[in-house]
Amino acid sequence: MASESSGRTFQEYLEHHLQNLVYGRLPEGHERKFYAKGETDEEKAAYCQDGKNMDYDGDKYCKETLTEDGWYLANNKTDLEAMGFWAFNIDTLFFSLLLGSIFLFFFINAAKSFSLEKPTKLQLFIEMMIDFVNGVVKGTFKAGQNSLVAPMALTIFVWVLLMNLMDLVPVDLIPYPAEEIGIPYLKVVPTTDLNLTAALALSVFILYLFFSIKNKGFIGFIKSITLHPFGPWMLPANLFVEVIDMLAKPLSLALRLYGNLYAGEMIFLLIAGMVMINFETLTIAGVGLNLAGVTLSLIWAIFHILIVVLQAFIFMMLTVVYMNMAHEKFEQH
Amino acid sequence: MNLNGTLLGQMIAFGLFIWFCWKFVWPPLLAAMEERASKIEKGLKDSEESAKKIIEAEEQSKKMIAQAKSEAKNVLSNAKAQSEKIVEDSKAKATEEKNRIVTSAQAEIDKEVVNAKKNLEKDFATNVMSAAKKIVGKEISETNHGDTIQKSLDDFRK
Repeated sequence: MASESSGRTFQEYLEHHLQNLVYGRLPEGHERKFYAKGETDEEKAAYCQDGKNMDYDGDKYCKETLTEDGWYLANNKTDLEAMGFWAFNIDTLFFSLLLGSIFLFFFINAAKSFSLEKPTKLQLFIEMMIDFVNGVVKGTFKAGQNSLVAPMALTIFVWVLLMNLMDLVPVDLIPYPAEEIGIPYLKVVPTTDLNLTAALALSVFILYLFFSIKNKGFIGFIKSITLHPFGPWMLPANLFVEVIDMLAKPLSLALRLYGNLYAGEMIFLLIAGMVMINFETLTIAGVGLNLAGVTLSLIWAIFHILIVVLQAFIFMMLTVVYMNMAHEKFEQH
Repeated sequence: MNLNGTLLGQMIAFGLFIWFCWKFVWPPLLAAMEERASKIEKGLKDSEESAKKIIEAEEQSKKMIAQAKSEAKNVLSNAKAQSEKIVEDSKAKATEEKNRIVTSAQAEIDKEVVNAKKNLEKDFATNVMSAAKKIVGKEISETNHGDTIQKSLDDFRK
């Protein structure tokens, strides 16, 4: 299995791939643990001593008890729990910002060097995207005028699409070399991190609330969540239904994208688990398993292209729909 | 898997991206695309109009050619008629002149003939008289022989 090359069991391989690179604050007295590399106890002890200036626990790990507070990269679940909320997923932030910057770079470039008569192929592609998003927004967002909706839809579509596309990069291609140069964990698909999808959904939700109150007025907004769908005499029931309906929006938005991409990534990992790298122990059955793994990986990747685009589109579409609802003068039921 | 500070970081990043897109990407690109759309529309309209104009011009030129042809025909036929008339006129004039010249020449000739006859008569009479004098040798007076002379003169005249 692919996991054998790094000396892990398949279970550990999966967990390793599904863990973000988290940078956070660890309190005094916290015990940090590292997986000790090496064959014999002496090698492992030397690894702990030389590399990290830590003690070897005699079994698998190097250990260290912190004497003061400090910011560290998390190495295991206990580290994560000790860090709490104030921790940052470096990999998610890095890749999402990188991809977002790539998006802005190409689009701003296209806007600057826009040629009416002689468009480049890249410009035509970008125009196609703009046209597509503009069509969706014009077709869906009819309740009011808001110059923010179309650019937001474009940002969401292209950014989420780029982040989803990272899922098609072979699962070990980036994390494995990264581990070799000392980055313990790396998740390359930002949309498989609930933090990112929740951040997008929450931002959309805040804008939804903002534009709702701005367009309906505070009184109008309160009315819209209390007087429907049953009329004023059933106010508590109305409030209950409307609040659940409202909270379901960001929740479903965040979980749909996260769930789809996380599941997709998981399947890639499971398929990757079928493929052996250690050629010395390769058997006939192993060759068959390898071929099956490669084939399945290809089939899933092709199918996943559909999911990747579809999820980006759904996120954008629902955002536009919610913005439209925020601009409706009278709620229709 | 737990939510952590990344959430806030991503919200800020998302807000920034939207803002950039809102300010620097969407408006110029959309404006440029709309400009091109209107240009294309205008170009199509213009070409349609010019096609119409070409057809009109063709018709006009055909009309003009036809008109010019008929005018040329008229001019030609007029010229022909005029030249015929000129030829006729000059023919008539020439005939008239000829007739005039012929009649005047005839008159002159007639006059000359009369004169010549008169002179001849005179000369003849004198010659005859002198000849007769020589032959007769005697005086011939008009009183005596006038009748005879007159008679011969009358015969000569005949």
